[in-house]
Amino acid sequence: MNIIEIKDLKKIYNDSEVAVHAVNGVDLSFKQGEFAAIVGPSGSGKTTLLNLIGGLDVPSEGSIRIDGVNIGELSSRKLINFRLNNIGFVFQSYNLIPVLTAYENVEFIMSLQGYDKDKRHSRTVELLKSVGLGDRLNSRPNKLSGGEQQRVAVARALASKPKFILADEPTANLDSKSTSNLLDIMEKLNREENITFIFSTHDQRVVNKARRVIQVEDGKVISDEAIQSP
Amino acid sequence: MIWIIAWKNIWRNKVRSLVIILAITLGLFGGVFSSAVMKGMVEQRIKEAVSRETAHIQIHNPKYIDNNEVQYTIDGEAQNLEQTLDSLPEVKGWSSRIKFQAMANSANAGTGVMIYGVDPEKERQVTEISAMICDSCGTYLNGEKKNQIVVGEALAEKLKVRLRSKIVLTFQDQEGTLTGAAFRICGIYRTSNSVFDEMNVFVRKTDIASLLIMNAQEYQELVVRLSEPDQVTDVQEELTDGFPELLVRNWKEIDPMIGMMADLTAVWLYMFMAIILLALGFGIINTMLMTILERTRELGMLAAIGMNKHRIFLMIMLESVYLSLTGAIVGMALGYFLTLYTSYTGINLSSFAEGFEKIGYNPIMYPYLDLNFFITLTIMVICIGILASIYPARKALKLNPAEAVRSE
Repeated sequence: MNIIEIKDLKKIYNDSEVAVHAVNGVDLSFKQGEFAAIVGPSGSGKTTLLNLIGGLDVPSEGSIRIDGVNIGELSSRKLINFRLNNIGFVFQSYNLIPVLTAYENVEFIMSLQGYDKDKRHSRTVELLKSVGLGDRLNSRPNKLSGGEQQRVAVARALASKPKFILADEPTANLDSKSTSNLLDIMEKLNREENITFIFSTHDQRVVNKARRVIQVEDGKVISDEAIQSP
Repeated sequence: MIWIIAWKNIWRNKVRSLVIILAITLGLFGGVFSSAVMKGMVEQRIKEAVSRETAHIQIHNPKYIDNNEVQYTIDGEAQNLEQTLDSLPEVKGWSSRIKFQAMANSANAGTGVMIYGVDPEKERQVTEISAMICDSCGTYLNGEKKNQIVVGEALAEKLKVRLRSKIVLTFQDQEGTLTGAAFRICGIYRTSNSVFDEMNVFVRKTDIASLLIMNAQEYQELVVRLSEPDQVTDVQEELTDGFPELLVRNWKEIDPMIGMMADLTAVWLYMFMAIILLALGFGIINTMLMTILERTRELGMLAAIGMNKHRIFLMIMLESVYLSLTGAIVGMALGYFLTLYTSYTGINLSSFAEGFEKIGYNPIMYPYLDLNFFITLTIMVICIGILASIYPARKALKLNPAEAVRSE
């Protein structure tokens, strides 16, 4: 069963004199457990597409259904709550809260969900261990490397038990060793726990790991290819 | 957890936060101490006016207040009134006075005065004039000698008289006949109100009653001193109900200037602090706006991962309140300790004594503030913190998470 269904999705920006069709009639669907990369040159519309899927932006036309819910029809308040409980985000610049430790950054999202302290504690420790940071629980972001920060971001994205994780160019600021490490962790989570990952990227290393590659250009999907596992 | 994050957030940029905290600290410190000095001055003036001039309650024949003539006395009800006052536990003391205007003349000068014919022992329980006579300035109507008078230092200077000098008092008796007598100065008092000192003299009631052709049981004024100032309204009501034909007034009604000053000071102090806080509020807004600008990406991330607007607003509001309260608590504490210290030592402005005494103020001030002031001030600080957060928080809530997370 598809967890995401996108139909005739369009996003048109009318800010300038000429309307810009950032996403121009996209039809896509994603199943549980996919490890998919959306690729394309800068300005092709991949980030806009990801923002639309994540409910961070509102479509001009078309629909996005997540587990049967048309997120375009949700009120702003319900949409925020929907994101909290259904979608995990990993950002290019990690975007951790600098005044909180790795532990607190991961725990924070569960406190927003209203989990009690004991539940938060056990899950936070478990998640940070699963991304290889069991010994860095009390480190603040400025004491962590870029790769470690991005792994905390992945743990944070997983903390709310989302239906899928959207990662916007997650390796863009990482060196090759950190990239490889991060990808291995995400791939492991995907294979062992059936967690769905959707990336936007132009990093070939990410594309090489992906089992589905969606090529976007001028706001349209020009190819959608399933890659056989080696 | 939002409470903890907000607290940690204000220490991200320590220098910037400390600058605004220091500004709030200094503003509140100055405001609190200035308020304490003002409040202390006014409280002191009220206390001195009550203890030396008006007492807590005065009772008159209503016609005496209208006409100021000696024949309008409290006579028929005097015995009942005195018995009632003796039975009231709130009453610390009372004194009946013969009170009238006269001319006082020395060999050198003359002036109009208000004569108080008193029973010295009773009067000591009500006013502190007897304590205002220095060791070398005589005594307060002691001994058996007749026709003694206690005058204020300002009057003595005006009449160019000294201790044991004679002055002649001229006045009309109850029948309207001009009469007078010579009195010898047995004591010279000095209060912090030189105008009062220049106007009021004290003699024995028994000496003056016969000159006025008055019955010894008659008098124009009865002054009452209570154990606690806040019992005034209750006792006044009780006496008014018991003696409806007499005029029972409290100290605020007797001296409306002092009464108005007491009421206005309370309002003015809060207005004064509100102005200081308002000015500081703009500083807080500026600091919070810079904070929001610097954290655009993070605020976008928080909105993206599902932190709702209510929580984002709460976080920013808490940061603003923490900034305000931190500075305010330190400022209030410093103001409180300086007030406490100077309330024991006093602030000596004797070099301006003449000016102060002419308007009835003691040149040695004892700053004073009560707990209610600090409680109200803390609430005001929290309100300013909340108000100052509204504009920056609205800016934060208007951020588009998709754009904000990618901002530089």
